[in-house]
Amino acid sequence: MITAGIDIGSSALKMVIWESTGKILARYVGRAGYGSEARAREFCHSIGVHIDATVATGYGRGLIDWADRSVTELTCQVRWARQEVPAARTIIDIGGQDCKVIRISESGTLADFLLNDKCAAGTGRFLEVMAAALDVPVEELSGVPDGPSVSISSTCTVFAESEVMSAVAGGRNKQEVIRGINNAVASRVAALALRLGCVPDLVITGGVAQNARIVDAIASILSTRPVVPKEPQLTAAWGAALLAHDKFLSKREGSY
Amino acid sequence: MSRLTSTDYLKKVMSRYYTGLRIPSPGKRIAWVTSGAPVEILRAMNIQVAYPENYAALCAARRQSQRLIEIAESSGLSGDLCSYARCHIGSVLSPNAAPWKGLPRPAVLICCNNICSTVTLWYEYLADILKVPLFFIDTPRVDGAPASHQVAYVKRQLEDLVCFLEARFGRRLDEQALKATLKTSAQTAKLWANIRSTAMKRPSPIEAPDLFIAMAPIVVLRGTRAALDFYQLLHKELLVRIDNGVGIGRYERVRLVWDNIAIWHALFRVNQMFAAHGGVFVADTYTGGWTFELMEGDPLESMAHAYLSVFLNKGFADRLADLEKTLSEYGADGLVMHANRSCKPYSLIQPELAREISRRMGLPILLLESDMADPRAYAEEQLRLRIEAFMEQLGGIL
Repeated sequence: MITAGIDIGSSALKMVIWESTGKILARYVGRAGYGSEARAREFCHSIGVHIDATVATGYGRGLIDWADRSVTELTCQVRWARQEVPAARTIIDIGGQDCKVIRISESGTLADFLLNDKCAAGTGRFLEVMAAALDVPVEELSGVPDGPSVSISSTCTVFAESEVMSAVAGGRNKQEVIRGINNAVASRVAALALRLGCVPDLVITGGVAQNARIVDAIASILSTRPVVPKEPQLTAAWGAALLAHDKFLSKREGSY
Repeated sequence: MSRLTSTDYLKKVMSRYYTGLRIPSPGKRIAWVTSGAPVEILRAMNIQVAYPENYAALCAARRQSQRLIEIAESSGLSGDLCSYARCHIGSVLSPNAAPWKGLPRPAVLICCNNICSTVTLWYEYLADILKVPLFFIDTPRVDGAPASHQVAYVKRQLEDLVCFLEARFGRRLDEQALKATLKTSAQTAKLWANIRSTAMKRPSPIEAPDLFIAMAPIVVLRGTRAALDFYQLLHKELLVRIDNGVGIGRYERVRLVWDNIAIWHALFRVNQMFAAHGGVFVADTYTGGWTFELMEGDPLESMAHAYLSVFLNKGFADRLADLEKTLSEYGADGLVMHANRSCKPYSLIQPELAREISRRMGLPILLLESDMADPRAYAEEQLRLRIEAFMEQLGGIL
């Protein structure tokens, strides 16, 4: 059986075509925005095999009106973890515009969750804004070695940007500022995790998990070593493909 | 989804009330009062009452609050002030921008701080700009039952209120009229409590948005025949639904309780997001604020007792006990707390209530951040994600 998971996030479109033998047949990561639905459709056709079921997730999940079901990213992440990291009890997912802390029950279901407030602090967007302010590609933020850092205390992204600008204007070196930015994201995310309670094993997913410096900083605040999947951006789409598989298997139409 | 036919009568009652306020007649006097003010005294003296809080909620439900709020803010009021206050003050500053050109101007203002302390400054500000006298009733916070010195303190203020009104309007308070009004008030409050309790049945014959709409008369027409008539009609209709085993006409997969004032400008939109996944709000904590009991005996004393015991005038332990009781009586599967930016006394203790309820009952709880009347504090996509994830959490999708 072959199923598709489509995750239209606030900044990226992610897709996974999954075969029930346990193999990912195809994957896709691109920018979200206008045309996401068309690109998703083209991608599914381009595989050249029949897709038995599709689940859509992410902020844009409603766009995929031909999906068999739409499910939130939270449930998709939990479904993915149940298969790939069965010992996981907490997931921190840091996406483009939000940050989620998800608690998984002993039986592998969604037990509780907490999302960041109506604010971009501690999200991928925060990093993009700061990278642009420093005129460096966002990938470069994860390439700094350990060392001293400037302190960025504003929660608000716009105010934090002006803190960064004044550090730059004050002659602080770029690496110190970058470390400050990474620490700022890590501390906001860790605070959210502590509010919900961070039960190990911990998994960190989402695009921002590609920044090893942020992952390290979160690990040190929470004093637990997190699992970071090889493709942290794809986990929700992968979980969606797994849910599509469940859906296809279950004959109980309409059962929630 | 089946509609309650008594809603037609409700519309008539409410439009008659609002039109009636506007019709000039000799000797007619209007008081603006807070929602927790001892209105029975005014009614017994034949003084018309208007409720700025209810007016603001109506403006919000008609999606006309934002303009008024912006008018208030551009006059210098802080965006952190209660949105009812901002909306209503906006209507006072610019009646032409307001639905029905605002409320008809008052002869007096009656403010009771049993619901919050914001009303104190809100009414002082009104008194200042409208140049009308303000009578203020102070109700100290109550834990458990009101202490006798608290009752005596408030009763004394109610006696002063009577003197103030008699001197102001040159009328006497007829004790028989007050007793009759109180009797109607108590009957209505009891009926309202019974109406809310019908939702303990499965399937529930009524849901919280209906209660939020149907609560208007218990707030603004408490103590009148019109309110009593409406609730008798509604109660009868609900009993018929129960007899026929008919619910609200929608599948009741999970039973939910709503905490806090409604998001008036998106009441049905928000409800629909839960309804789409089989969620039914069988109770809320807000409309239960008008189910107080009036004791027999000295009218002013029983009023002092009742108006001190309003839930927003109570401390954490009482709020927790009430919430726990509601959740278990109504067989709730989950609790949704509207963290209402405007209503500080209601909202500030919610995270702690949530922690305690979760510890005691292990119930899934969702905190939604928004505002009762300021649409700018409403982020629909963010709410939708939280609501759908919560419904998945309650739904065993995995």
